[in-house]
Amino acid sequence: MKLYRSFVQPYLFWMGVFIVVPMLLIVFYAFTTSGNNIISFRFTLDNFIRFGEPIFLRVLLRSLSIALTTTVISILIGYPVAYLISQSNEKMQTLLILLITIPMWINMLVRTYAWIGILSENGLINSFLAWLGLPTLNLMYTDFAVILGMVYNFLPFMILSIYTVLAKLDKALIQASYDLGANKLQTFTKIVLPLSVPGIISGITLVFLPAVSTFVIPKFLGGGNYVLIGNLIETQFITVGQWNFGSAISMIMASVIMLSMFITKRFDQDIEEMQSRKEVG
Amino acid sequence: MKKLIGLLMIVMVVAGLSACAPKETLRVFSWGVYIDESLIAEFEREFNVRVVYDEFASNEEMYTRLLSGEQYDVLVPSDYTIERLISENLLQPLDLSKIPNRSGIIPDLVGLPHDPQGQYSMPYFWGNVGLVYNKNNVSLADLEAQGWDILRNPSYAGRIYFYDSERDAFMIALKALGYSVNTTNEAEIQAAYEWLLEMDASMDVVYVTDEIIDSMIAGNKDIAVMYSGDAVYVEIENEDMGFYVPEQGTNLWVDAMVIPANARNAEMAHNWINFMLSHEAALANTIEVAYTSPIQSVFDEVTAEGGDYADYLDSYVPRLGNPLDEAFRYNEDIKKVLSDLYTLVKAQ
Amino acid sequence: MVGSKKAIISSIVMIGGVLLFFYLPILILMIFSFNDSRSLTSWAGFSLRWYQDLFSSRDVASAVTTTIIVALISTVVATFVGTLTAIGLSKSKKIVKDVVNSVNNLPILNPEIVTAIGMMLLFSAMNIPRGYITLLLAHISFSIPYVILTILPKLRSLDPNLAEAAMDLGATPWQALTKVIVPQITPGILAGALIAFTMSFDDFVISYFVTGAGVKNISILVYTMSRRINPSINALSTLMVLVITIVLVLINVLPMLKKKERMPIE
Repeated sequence: MKLYRSFVQPYLFWMGVFIVVPMLLIVFYAFTTSGNNIISFRFTLDNFIRFGEPIFLRVLLRSLSIALTTTVISILIGYPVAYLISQSNEKMQTLLILLITIPMWINMLVRTYAWIGILSENGLINSFLAWLGLPTLNLMYTDFAVILGMVYNFLPFMILSIYTVLAKLDKALIQASYDLGANKLQTFTKIVLPLSVPGIISGITLVFLPAVSTFVIPKFLGGGNYVLIGNLIETQFITVGQWNFGSAISMIMASVIMLSMFITKRFDQDIEEMQSRKEVG
Repeated sequence: MKKLIGLLMIVMVVAGLSACAPKETLRVFSWGVYIDESLIAEFEREFNVRVVYDEFASNEEMYTRLLSGEQYDVLVPSDYTIERLISENLLQPLDLSKIPNRSGIIPDLVGLPHDPQGQYSMPYFWGNVGLVYNKNNVSLADLEAQGWDILRNPSYAGRIYFYDSERDAFMIALKALGYSVNTTNEAEIQAAYEWLLEMDASMDVVYVTDEIIDSMIAGNKDIAVMYSGDAVYVEIENEDMGFYVPEQGTNLWVDAMVIPANARNAEMAHNWINFMLSHEAALANTIEVAYTSPIQSVFDEVTAEGGDYADYLDSYVPRLGNPLDEAFRYNEDIKKVLSDLYTLVKAQ
Repeated sequence: MVGSKKAIISSIVMIGGVLLFFYLPILILMIFSFNDSRSLTSWAGFSLRWYQDLFSSRDVASAVTTTIIVALISTVVATFVGTLTAIGLSKSKKIVKDVVNSVNNLPILNPEIVTAIGMMLLFSAMNIPRGYITLLLAHISFSIPYVILTILPKLRSLDPNLAEAAMDLGATPWQALTKVIVPQITPGILAGALIAFTMSFDDFVISYFVTGAGVKNISILVYTMSRRINPSINALSTLMVLVITIVLVLINVLPMLKKKERMPIE
């Protein structure tokens, strides 16, 4: 098997260069200053201290709150939809899942761009309101538009994550619950919901992570002054050219995300622990 | 299985071959929607070359991408960025003998402060910055009385587009306060920063770049900060729109063609520059893009009676002779200060 | 029975509402690709002009070509390397497995923008001019972890002694590889290849940061085009939607049709 083991070596090298080194470079740039030229530098915490200014912390907070709102809305809409799909017959399930999947395959930029024509001052919604004789709404370049864009892009992931777990639920468990005298609501809250938590958790991962770090959706639907942390990083690298500050922001954002993922995973583990204790006791 | 691999091999070879172009290549880096595209094809035919035409949205973006290692043969930056590139030895002097068409340039545009000997750059478009306004919803009296301060007039809150550019943002604030756009006085810059903060906080302003053009044509808002060339286009497409340049002064700018020091095809770059300065190409460009042409014969032709822009002289012809109208100069330290402050303004 | 009727109606309303939410913007996008004027909001009549613009645009042609070629090449390379690496991993010591899995998780768990700027810094430090090559390298790099992730579970379910048995019977290691192991994990390899292709085809953030010299893929093209209202984007999107729908429907419907063929009239 030595021959086969040697297959790993080329990739070990590739991985080192193309995955590990870039991460190290980000850390390096974050802790140094002066020039994007790798030759002249000095170590400093300035980049991180600069992020401590209230204005940047507000950007981080805004990004987290928008991402959180998006995630919560996705769960509130996604769970019922996933549940209803899992309750229908097999052909219906395949069809519905196919219908949910098709938009996911369309380019994210295109999907976000599509909302511009609907939300703008003379767009579909306002034209409809005007036709009804109602006053027009200012929808573009608002929190509403950005959250709408995010939910639109990420909801399918939540639906699919929850559906995958629900579809695999052992029907026998549910039947047993009815046989033991529980009604639909009790069965749902005590059996189905707890068992579907892993699906919700993975859905949260698939929604929260991109929602925090995206810059396209706020740029298209929020306007130039709608700055989330992804936009901040993008401008530092592409327009402003301050790679050191940009790297520091990336590290901070990555750490915040890892922390939230860690908390979510612990939550998942705690729930599993509680469930297994219930089964034993 | 073997057939599949064979097919894939063929695909890869074909792909590889198509990626290697046998002709020489010219790489041009310019603004978006800044050229009559048929000129690119015409140039390719005339000089038997493949043109890669890439676009940037701001001088800052162009500069950052240039410094991150991208290689081009022709750039079209604005005056103050050209000044910066020259000072950092990133440009090569032009071989003027290869650019005979330069004799057609409007004399006022030669020897400007950013390139006094005219050694490094050839003008491409020029203009100023002003306010496009809806003549039905915005009173000219307000504009004349307040100038740039109309952008902080509460009766217009929520109806304003601002151009997302740090230099123009500070230019407006400094002019509104009566200072020079090139000031190095910290107190004045701080005052301008606060002017912008207040505008951002109270006026519900939307920052956009090129989206501003189509939005104003659609009449989405009533006032927009725009470049004079875009204003011409808006005025043509929407009769309700007018253009006003405040008496407090504005920025008079020139975008010019330059050749980077590390250009791989300087020879062809000279051909491109000369080609763009010809009467035919410059005419095609100004007709297509609506920005003001730097070529005297073209300028005269389109602004004459019956010319394409005869009815739009208010935006097509930049105001000359107002001492408060200034060109941007480049200053490295101030640039960093303005950059950081602008990041703060937008992040509010 | 009234209760379940209410339940059915509310289910239909809910699911229908969500589907409407998903498809309405896309439908409007498609409708306005046939608009005779430049507007995204007011209809001026039917026209194919934007499709004509699309097909005559050199930018679009080159972006589509770039996207397809980069996706094909990166998929082939990533699948090849990923498969071999996964096979090697399945026979490796635990520590090697752990290291590779942890490092592989980095681009998957990291937000795309972090992976993107990391690559940008790498190419800048190595002084590689940004363009086709960097785009390709980046796409290969982010695809391989997904390929490995897809194939490893399939390998684990294989009998570990199969390859050895084949070699005992006289096969060379290479033959054991290609004629014994690979055929068994082919579904995994194909799934991995599909994922790699999709990720490459659809990629925006990483491509945006690592490309240069005018090399664009479809996503970057849409991004730059969208600064001005350009119904050619709508036309391009409509074509993409049609292609995707046809492919997905075929993938899902063909197997069902095949089943029907095998089951003659009962």
